Amino acid sequence: MLRWKYSRPLLNIFVAILAIAPLLSFGPLRFPGIQQTLAVAFLYGALALTYDLLFGFTGLLSFGHALFFASGMYLTTIFVNHYNVNIYLASFLAIAISGILAVLIGSASLRTKGITFAMVTLAFGEAGHVIISRNFGNLTNGENGLPINADRVPQIFIGVINTKYLFWLALLTLVVVYLAVWWVTESSAGRVFSALRDNEVRVSVLGLNPQRFKLVAFVISALLASGVGVSMILVSGGAAPRFASAETTIALLLMVILGGAVTRWGAVLGGIIYSVASTRLQDLSQSTALDSIPKIIKGPLSEPTFTLGLIFVLIVMFAPGGLSGAYYRGRFKYLNRAKK
Amino acid sequence: MATFWLITITGIGLGALYFLVASGLSLIYGLMGVLNFAHGTFMTIGAYMGYWFSTQIVDSRNTWTFIGAMLVGGLSGGLFALLVEQLVITRLYDRHIDQALVTVGVALVVAAMLGGWFTNDLRIMPTPDWFVNVVTLSSARIPVDRFLYIGVATLLLVTMIGILKFTRIGLIIRAGVENRQMVTALGINVRLAFSAVFFLGGVAAGVGGVLIGAYQNGFSPLTSGTWLIYGFIVVVIGGMGSIGGSALAALLIGITKQFANYYVSGLGDFVVVLLLAIVLLTRPQGILGKVSA
Repeated sequence: MLRWKYSRPLLNIFVAILAIAPLLSFGPLRFPGIQQTLAVAFLYGALALTYDLLFGFTGLLSFGHALFFASGMYLTTIFVNHYNVNIYLASFLAIAISGILAVLIGSASLRTKGITFAMVTLAFGEAGHVIISRNFGNLTNGENGLPINADRVPQIFIGVINTKYLFWLALLTLVVVYLAVWWVTESSAGRVFSALRDNEVRVSVLGLNPQRFKLVAFVISALLASGVGVSMILVSGGAAPRFASAETTIALLLMVILGGAVTRWGAVLGGIIYSVASTRLQDLSQSTALDSIPKIIKGPLSEPTFTLGLIFVLIVMFAPGGLSGAYYRGRFKYLNRAKK
Repeated sequence: MATFWLITITGIGLGALYFLVASGLSLIYGLMGVLNFAHGTFMTIGAYMGYWFSTQIVDSRNTWTFIGAMLVGGLSGGLFALLVEQLVITRLYDRHIDQALVTVGVALVVAAMLGGWFTNDLRIMPTPDWFVNVVTLSSARIPVDRFLYIGVATLLLVTMIGILKFTRIGLIIRAGVENRQMVTALGINVRLAFSAVFFLGGVAAGVGGVLIGAYQNGFSPLTSGTWLIYGFIVVVIGGMGSIGGSALAALLIGITKQFANYYVSGLGDFVVVLLLAIVLLTRPQGILGKVSA
């Protein structure tokens, strides 16, 4: 695996511009609607990155990742709404419990490998989804979702006029997750994660315990995902069962493949593009722009998953590495040519 | 005692439906190492084709129509599976993770296409009138359609075992599950066995789609998801690549789920996942699975 290591001054400048953009009296980011769309997109970017840590870096194809995202959301909301816990303490407890959950589920499902692991995590994830949507113990409010009690949320996050704070919260979450994943993947444990992906036997021959390292990767990504979940409560107004569904994990997979695994920024970009694209495609399907097209084409086009799924299939088949992979391939070619 | 029989037999009926979904998954995984997320779409295609047959071609609700619907559904599920295999899977030879990913994409695209054309509203599968009858068995009143599911699943199980045990292609499939490299090295065309397995799995899923459409009073492109997940659970518990294991696990899960749901409503799914966890912790290769990497 090639490694690319740069400090990224352009990226820092870009983030800084994003951060001050909502304060300016010009530019698209002064509109709350766009701030909201981007806030959601940033959180999906962060979530996709936590999935990249698991799937791209460590090579664990999990179909239950959404469970930890949702457990962060639901546990926080349940503590705040039902037990009157302070929101900061509630988020801390939610993330901690999600971590314990990840240890339990991880140690059971990591007894299997590869494709079996995918099936097993899918089953655990779906069990979580079922528990949430069946309103187990009257805590989750079932299919309707659980809106967070607005009185117990810091007031700067309430109201359309304050959408910019949600935008900043999402951006901050993304930056924190990005730095955390960077730190983890560049640490010596991170090297072991990548080694596990490339050759697990080799790792165990070197005297390291593969199970333990996999579990650490699994738990770290679950902790980060539940943290993103906490931010998502504020941005989307509460917890909902769809966040726990297998479709959400599959969407994460699409994001990572779209942007390209193992490059960090690829997953983030994939998450942002996917999130914005699915909102935009939804709007497009309800507009009149498609009316002139015959129904046989219009029908599928009005479903965002059709377009995104098709792109996904094409990328997997013909352009493995996604957007960032294509970028690095192009760059590699360019540098080679420049050398000559 | 009446309740006991009722729950047991409806549980076996449910298990029969799980088996129809899981058998193909298990064979496909066992032979090719492909985790087939598109398996649910084979079900959906089967259900839509069966529906099309029994409403557009022959507009009636008698027994023969339903048998016809099952045949049409099974055949179209099988042919569609063959199409997916030829168009997508064969191009990603031995890239197992990519194969799994691409089937995820196919599942999304096909579900969105069907949803776009036919909407995501539930459609009711036309069933013969005797479907609502009950049979009294030692004072337990059991819905008669459950026996149909059990019968069809048994028939398919016997057919599959027959094909696997007594035909040349079955021999190649069994050998391929055991050791694919060796079979290839002996100069036998395993590709043909791949197609056969996809076709067989597609037929079972297609028939399953029609029956499930009848069982749950309506189907849409979105209903196959849960069944696919149960299919995966059955395959993991039964052991990858083992048809007998799938049958056993399907029965186990069907019955356990019905009993759990009888005592606490909604507990069934939870107990099944608990069962999965126990099997993984004590016997990770599944009930009849062989130890492998």
